[in-house]
Amino acid sequence: MNANDKRIRWVKEPALGMAGKSYLLLFVQGLATTLKHLVSRKKTVQSPEERHEIPDPIIYRGVHRLNRDEQGRVKCVACFLCATACPAHCIDIVAAESPWPDREKYPQSFTIDELRCIYCGLCEEACPVDAIELTSLYDLSGKSREEMIFDKQKLLSIYDQTKDAEPTRTERLKGEGGGGKAE
Amino acid sequence: MLLPLTLEALLKIALLIAGLMTAAAYFVLLERWIAAWVQDRLGPNRVGVPLTKIRLFGLGQPIADGVKFLFKAEFTPGHVDKFIYFLAPMSIFAAAILVFAVIPFGSALPPNIFPASWGVGEPIQLVAAPGIDVGMIYVFAVGSIAVYGVVLGGWASNNKYSFLGGLRSGAQLISYELPLGLGILGVVLASGSLRLETIISQQAQSGAWNCFLQPLGFLVFAVASFAEAGRLPFDLPEAEQELVGGYHTEYSGIKLMMYLVAEFLHMITASFLIAILFLGGWHFWGLTDGGGPDGNTVTWVVAVLRIIVLLAKVMAMILFFMVVRWSWPRFRYDQLMDIGWKVMIPWGLANLIAVAVWVEYGDRIAHSLGLPPLLCMGLCGFVILLLGWYVATKADPTLNDNRPRRRLISPDRHVEKIEV
Amino acid sequence: MPTIIIDNREFEIPGGVKLNCIQAAKLAGVEIPHYCWHPGLSVVGSCRMCLVEVGSKDAKTGKIAMQPKLVPACNQTAVEGTVIVTNSEKVARTRAMVEEDLLLRHPIDCPICDKAGECSLQDYHFAHGQDQRRADLQPFTSRRRDIGDVSLFVDRCILCSRCVRFAKEISGTSELMVAGRGTHEEIDVVENHPLHNNLSGNVVDLCPVGALADKDFLYRQRVWFLRRHKGICTGCATGCSIWIEENQDRIHRLKPRENPHVNQWWMCNEGRYGYPHVHSDKRIVHPIRHQRAEGFNPSAECETNAAFSGNSSRGDKPLGSLSHEILDWTDLPTELNQVLRSSKHLGAILSPFLAVEEAYLLCKMLRGIDKNAMLALGPIPVVGEDEHFPKGFTVRAEKCPNRRGVENVLTHFTGKIVPYGNFLKSVEKGEIRGVWVAGGYKNDWIDEPTAKTFESVELLIVQDLFPSPLSERASFLLPVAAFVEIDGSYVNHADRLQTVPQAIRPPLGVRSAGSLLWEMSGRKGLYDAQAVLREAAHEILYFSAAAGGVPEAGIDLKSNLLAGMGKIEDSSKIQQA
Repeated sequence: MNANDKRIRWVKEPALGMAGKSYLLLFVQGLATTLKHLVSRKKTVQSPEERHEIPDPIIYRGVHRLNRDEQGRVKCVACFLCATACPAHCIDIVAAESPWPDREKYPQSFTIDELRCIYCGLCEEACPVDAIELTSLYDLSGKSREEMIFDKQKLLSIYDQTKDAEPTRTERLKGEGGGGKAE
Repeated sequence: MLLPLTLEALLKIALLIAGLMTAAAYFVLLERWIAAWVQDRLGPNRVGVPLTKIRLFGLGQPIADGVKFLFKAEFTPGHVDKFIYFLAPMSIFAAAILVFAVIPFGSALPPNIFPASWGVGEPIQLVAAPGIDVGMIYVFAVGSIAVYGVVLGGWASNNKYSFLGGLRSGAQLISYELPLGLGILGVVLASGSLRLETIISQQAQSGAWNCFLQPLGFLVFAVASFAEAGRLPFDLPEAEQELVGGYHTEYSGIKLMMYLVAEFLHMITASFLIAILFLGGWHFWGLTDGGGPDGNTVTWVVAVLRIIVLLAKVMAMILFFMVVRWSWPRFRYDQLMDIGWKVMIPWGLANLIAVAVWVEYGDRIAHSLGLPPLLCMGLCGFVILLLGWYVATKADPTLNDNRPRRRLISPDRHVEKIEV
Repeated sequence: MPTIIIDNREFEIPGGVKLNCIQAAKLAGVEIPHYCWHPGLSVVGSCRMCLVEVGSKDAKTGKIAMQPKLVPACNQTAVEGTVIVTNSEKVARTRAMVEEDLLLRHPIDCPICDKAGECSLQDYHFAHGQDQRRADLQPFTSRRRDIGDVSLFVDRCILCSRCVRFAKEISGTSELMVAGRGTHEEIDVVENHPLHNNLSGNVVDLCPVGALADKDFLYRQRVWFLRRHKGICTGCATGCSIWIEENQDRIHRLKPRENPHVNQWWMCNEGRYGYPHVHSDKRIVHPIRHQRAEGFNPSAECETNAAFSGNSSRGDKPLGSLSHEILDWTDLPTELNQVLRSSKHLGAILSPFLAVEEAYLLCKMLRGIDKNAMLALGPIPVVGEDEHFPKGFTVRAEKCPNRRGVENVLTHFTGKIVPYGNFLKSVEKGEIRGVWVAGGYKNDWIDEPTAKTFESVELLIVQDLFPSPLSERASFLLPVAAFVEIDGSYVNHADRLQTVPQAIRPPLGVRSAGSLLWEMSGRKGLYDAQAVLREAAHEILYFSAAAGGVPEAGIDLKSNLLAGMGKIEDSSKIQQA
């Protein structure tokens, strides 16, 4: 860009007063802040002895789960919207015609590469049926990369584990009344 | 006669090196702790006694760090100039250690430790090479070698970041050696000796530390020491955010450790020098008074107290170094140079002239004013400090307009006025 | 050149063609949304989406008189002085109302609808619809009905009747109808007469919403994952222009690409579903060298066919008396050149599946090594008879894409075409010692007895997609790229040459015939099909029209041929004189 460009607006730096120019006050100020923090209460959580306290598990973005519907079937309709929204391309779905009469399409296979995932929660946002949700489980680990690629069964089992502690969005909306229409 | 002296010297050297290495290692831990505390974290607190579950507040961390450094892959990039690449960290490390030959870490032990038959009657001086008359010059000369370690390392790495780091630090270290020297010159001029022991004992005798007599010199020396040690806010040689790792980008393993330890040694050296030159060394009023004509005849208690006082002062300085690191951001390069050349050197010169004038006419001035000479000198010193600071504030040489000069860039000849 | 006014701007539209307002506006860069109108079908004006304000400008007075009511643009011919307004408040409100009406009972199952992403209803709703829905969010799913070749999602239908008109006008089979009246109207078929004809796949493309779903593509991929590439169908001699839609080198569907000279907007089911062989795991995926031992008995090796296909593991594997070695492409061109040069009396069979460039390179190379090399056209697969449809669309019986192209290359090099039978006879007599078979057939093309003829040949290089009786007898068995995997040109039955770029990468280990021949003939750099075509066009009169590049719709070589023949006559006259 040309320095003479008319669109450039040249701003004057705010002038420092004597106190600022002398550096002394600012230096003392900085030092005082540092010293204050030096002795303040520490925020570190000593994991694993202490557990990180999650203020709201509903909005926490931990490992994913695949929700089940009332009949215990996978709720996902294999619309690929989560896979489309995923910026890390970690969701892989194979869709098929569902074996159930009241459903049209379902995921034959549904895998999430938890190592590739960046836990942004966009899949949760994109899901039209609230089938994929991020739980508050954060300390997942595995001994191999393969182990960290979660398949449908594993994701459903996370739902079974967490469903009591963390109700699905659909259930919460029903509880609040009103929004249940969207189901 | 020769044997006990040799023994004594070797013992002191062993003590120094062992102490310094351990200190450097634990200062790394301290640095990390302070970094953590300032950021409201706990810092390293897991590593304790190896192979057990005893944690000891993380005091085992330096051992773990050292072992890790030693066992890390010693990687030498293919594009480096091998000889200089190996030489650079060694030179900076060796120079950093060598400085301590003349730096006292106490005053002296009581006389007559050895049996009289050994023929050693003098008290043992707590410095590796006692009685060197050019102590200050030695410190300066050996300390200057550090710049070679940095510049050669940056050059040999054959990497533009390293090279830039090396260049920057070359300029920085050389620039700040001048104010450093000016700060020392004031002290030397006042005391009339280059021996560090003499400088301490003079302050001890008068009870007026140089920082009270020459506050401006103290300030110049302290700031210059920060710059010489490459500590924030003057850590431009490394400047991770800009230069990856600066001159030691291409170094790893034990060679990197040499650089890092040397840096800590520089900080320790600087703290020692500040404590000795300006903060009265091992002297503390009422605690460390010795007997004898020069006040250096000590009992065991006093000898130990002097060591403790000196080390406490050094420790305080180091803590100050570390806290400053998290208080102030890095200076811009042009600001660094401006502070060095336009503020520190004039201040140092002003201090030097004032001291010279005082040495020549001080007694007469004090006499005519009817004040005790030392009090008078201290008052003068503070007046000069305030004056100097006021002038620097008014002139504000660090304020630069770094925006592109529009007239220079423009192909358009008609734009003449530079608008700011 | 009639002048029309669209949204206060004047445009000249081409004269001599009858254009409706949608087409005229499109030429002017203004899109008029429409559902039921399709350029290839009759106009019904039932969707009301294309309603615009229309008027006319009096040529003498310059006064503009607008019609009081909105008019469907699809049924309004654009003539001199036609005034079209598409951006008025009135039009926008009408479009929003039409959209709302269409969506009243449209199920909200876009997440599982295959059309989502390329759906006109979605697109137009975003562009012209209302922000908020006033109706209930019911129903959520659509009833599904099997109506023959395709699936019908009854509730998604907006009754544009494109499919009904297609079945009536283009395929001429009239299976589809609109059943019921009023809100009960549905698309349906008569009982026991399902939608079943060779063009039925086109109704899926025609459907502007997701009501008609391709059974082959159903739930396979979301359309926004697909990338489309230009292609040519190799199913028959018609050579339809197609879109190849793939994701990560896997074809998921083929769609017709509009080409007024070849296939208009259509393609047959045979071509549409004729791609699975590309991804077949029976394909040859390594170059293989066979060592023939004494007492060779290939028929005993037939069951080892699988070993040649993709499932075979690397490494030497002695199979009875036959050992085969998987080769590396790096040294292969040099080795092939050597064995070809050491073998005298060469011959080649060029299949009609070869692209023009490949055929040209092969002939040129073999003639360069042996200037009397016998070059023959491989067998032409013909199945049944040509299938004609009412509006002229024809599915050819000749099931290969490039007979005309290869024939003309051969004619150039050999003077006249050597019939396949003659070639076999020469082989039998032992006149030919080294044979290069450039195959690429989709299915079995050679039977056991014919293949046996080649046993006497010293050097047999076979390039093919799939193992055949001949491939076991080959000294070198080379894989080739399928039609979607090459840069190349095909000449269809009507002498129209079309060029397409590579759409997907061939499987690992497969190299296209073009690039192999390019390297074998000592050319530098990467295979450049366009350069080869240019060279062929300069050398061979038949292709000379292609010298300056080939447009998207292809080039008619026939007209050029006539002009060229004139030239030849002229030159002969000069010689006589």
